[in-house]
Amino acid sequence: IFSLKACKLDFSFVYLFVFFGLMKLVCILQSSHRKFKDRKQKLQNIRKKLAELRLKLLQVKLGRLKARVQRVHVDGISRTKDDIVIGSVRDVFTAADFQTVILRIHEARMRLENLGCFKNVGVLIDTYSGDGAYDDGIEVTFEVKEVNLLGAKINTNVGNNEGSITSGGMLRNIFGRGEELSTEYSYGTKRTSSFHTTFRKPFHNEAATELSTSIYQQASEAPWSGYKELDRGVLLSLAFATAPSIEQKLILDGAWRHLSCLSRSTAFAVREQSGHSLKSALRHELSLDKRDELVFPTDGIAFNMKNEFAGLGGDVGFFKNELNFQLNLPLVNEMVVQGSVQAGHMLPLRNNKTHCIIDRFILGGPTSVRGFEMGGVGPHSDNHALGAEMYWAAGLHFYCPLPLLGRGGSFSDKFRLHSFVNIGNIGDFDLTDNYKRNLENLFKDMRLSYGAGLAMSLGGFARVELNYCIPLILQRYDRPYNGIQFGVSTNFL
Amino acid sequence: MPQVLLTESISVELGAQEPWPNDVKLYQCFEVEQILLPDNASCLSVQAFLKMCNLPYTVQMRGNAEHMSPSGKVPFIKAGAFVVAELDPIISFVGNKGISLTEHLDSTKKSDMRAYMSLVNNVLGSAELYISWLDVQTYEDVTRPRYGSVYAWPLNRILTYQKWQQVTKRLKVLGWKHKKLEEVYREVDHCCIALSERLDKQKYFFGDNPTELDALVFGHLFTLLTTPLPDNRLATIVRSHPNLTRLCQNVEREFFDRTPTKMSPVASGPSSSDGVTSPPNGNNSSNGNGEDYDKLEDISQIPQ
Repeated sequence: IFSLKACKLDFSFVYLFVFFGLMKLVCILQSSHRKFKDRKQKLQNIRKKLAELRLKLLQVKLGRLKARVQRVHVDGISRTKDDIVIGSVRDVFTAADFQTVILRIHEARMRLENLGCFKNVGVLIDTYSGDGAYDDGIEVTFEVKEVNLLGAKINTNVGNNEGSITSGGMLRNIFGRGEELSTEYSYGTKRTSSFHTTFRKPFHNEAATELSTSIYQQASEAPWSGYKELDRGVLLSLAFATAPSIEQKLILDGAWRHLSCLSRSTAFAVREQSGHSLKSALRHELSLDKRDELVFPTDGIAFNMKNEFAGLGGDVGFFKNELNFQLNLPLVNEMVVQGSVQAGHMLPLRNNKTHCIIDRFILGGPTSVRGFEMGGVGPHSDNHALGAEMYWAAGLHFYCPLPLLGRGGSFSDKFRLHSFVNIGNIGDFDLTDNYKRNLENLFKDMRLSYGAGLAMSLGGFARVELNYCIPLILQRYDRPYNGIQFGVSTNFL
Repeated sequence: MPQVLLTESISVELGAQEPWPNDVKLYQCFEVEQILLPDNASCLSVQAFLKMCNLPYTVQMRGNAEHMSPSGKVPFIKAGAFVVAELDPIISFVGNKGISLTEHLDSTKKSDMRAYMSLVNNVLGSAELYISWLDVQTYEDVTRPRYGSVYAWPLNRILTYQKWQQVTKRLKVLGWKHKKLEEVYREVDHCCIALSERLDKQKYFFGDNPTELDALVFGHLFTLLTTPLPDNRLATIVRSHPNLTRLCQNVEREFFDRTPTKMSPVASGPSSSDGVTSPPNGNNSSNGNGEDYDKLEDISQIPQ
């Protein structure tokens, strides 16, 4: 017996020894990897400094060279109207030295490409030897290729936890100024389908104004509430940018909505709202995005605000505000801390107009407060979410790149380790003049969830998340989701 | 498919175990402004049946009752967790709870009753649909303003047109679309003759106790008698069979016990339309052409 016990002790020592050995090995690997990274970084810094010096020399040389543009040709125009082309290349004549000439030509080329009329733009620069030529005269030829009138497209999209495929045809540059008429049909994985015909007219001014009108039919299902929705409507929208990175939209929307129950077991509170309604609304959207990257930003803020007033006609009336704010702070070692806040408020109009469950807010799901099923936070009836008039949600996230791989290859760059804390609340709160009472009301029944997981960037515009979520604080009638939750979308809390 | 059948049979099983709840609600369209001839007949039939079985209920009026209903037709009842629409399913739902009006009948009489019920449904039901939707004058004056009265423009036009297309398609399948108005009146007359012969001098169709057939016939005939339409031929046809009118008066007096007071017309709904009189519930009144059709006692005095 004594020898057996000694054997057991021996084995445990062996295990401990092996374990410590492995830890030491991992530490050594990490430190050598870090040393290797440091050396590579130093080499890169030296190369960067050399390139900067060369560029400065070239700039000094070119800056002294005098040149000016005397003639500009644009070859290959058939449909496009002259005024927008002239407006795009006019700046080229203002340059006085060679470096500025090159810069202005580059800008003109970008503007021509963004008109929406040309497929590719080539530039030819030569000395000008015609009538009245100066010594430093330059002649620029833009060789453009116009887009075909008829075009087709097929692409994929990512919506709210679903992917969809869109196919359609379009007529491009119809009247010569970049107008476009397109028809699209899209089908999604959550059985949403939509069909719309849009006419777009860009104005090509400094505010990048664009007018678009469209007729659409959209069908979608909301299984968390047990209804399906068929919208048919007409949209008129004006989009413009009042400052760089601030975009605004004014939208006039008239929609005929048909709500019907998904199955016989839909809650009666939702069944009561089935039928037809007509919403005609005026909406204003403002978005400011100063982040450095769309999917995994490391620095910057993003702000989004939507105001909607329904009741210009039809039988639906409400006043709805929604806002969305995100702040990113970089830490050492490429780790990022991100804080985001979302809030929404709806005021139903008390005249003879109504609103229904489609207009109310829902909270919860892999793309908003994680750790709950879709629409799982808030009032429920028979396990179906009813929605509410006001909500707020906040999240604190922490991202860091994958360990041991760092930013070496582009593949591992698409992943991040992600941990979060999400809080939020939703309900038909009664706001009074007493701010303290309001705050108490809003925070009283707050929900909280936390967790960690992996996030991946999809195509550079959407994010896929796989998180292990633990809902900590919930209320009665919520539908929590404890475990691994999968979410794909372009906007997350 | 099998999943749906399973849930149906389970719900039937569960429904049988519970007694009739206290807070059963019957949902229908707005009586004064919205309801149409065929829907009014169905609602009245269901109300008469429930009253004959002595089952309590309250009436709830909704503008979107047709869309709330699981089968797309009014009326429907909400009993606890169950939502049941139309007369025949409600009869079987009530039958599952052990309540029936035909326990004293033997099987030949029961099949006889079912045959007559299907006659009434096919002939009177289709005739009501035809008159409301395919007769141009009635459609323009009565049906179109009433059906769209709960929606905003342009939805009222679009939805009325959609419903018109649906009804036309259905009547085409049933073989009624090609009939002329005279043929429809003749069919209604034949149906009334058959019913009158069956009723003869009895109090109800099968003796002294009312059955589902009485409820159904009451619903349709009361509606036909008391709805002012641009052309009152239907009411005249029904009135020419005095034992049928006597049946309606009996059912009204016994089960809806309304005191025959003259009610002032309510000024609501489109002024050009003819109102549909209320079923004997006592809380709405008709908007007819100055004459009050609420009192069936005066029917014999009204010039034909």
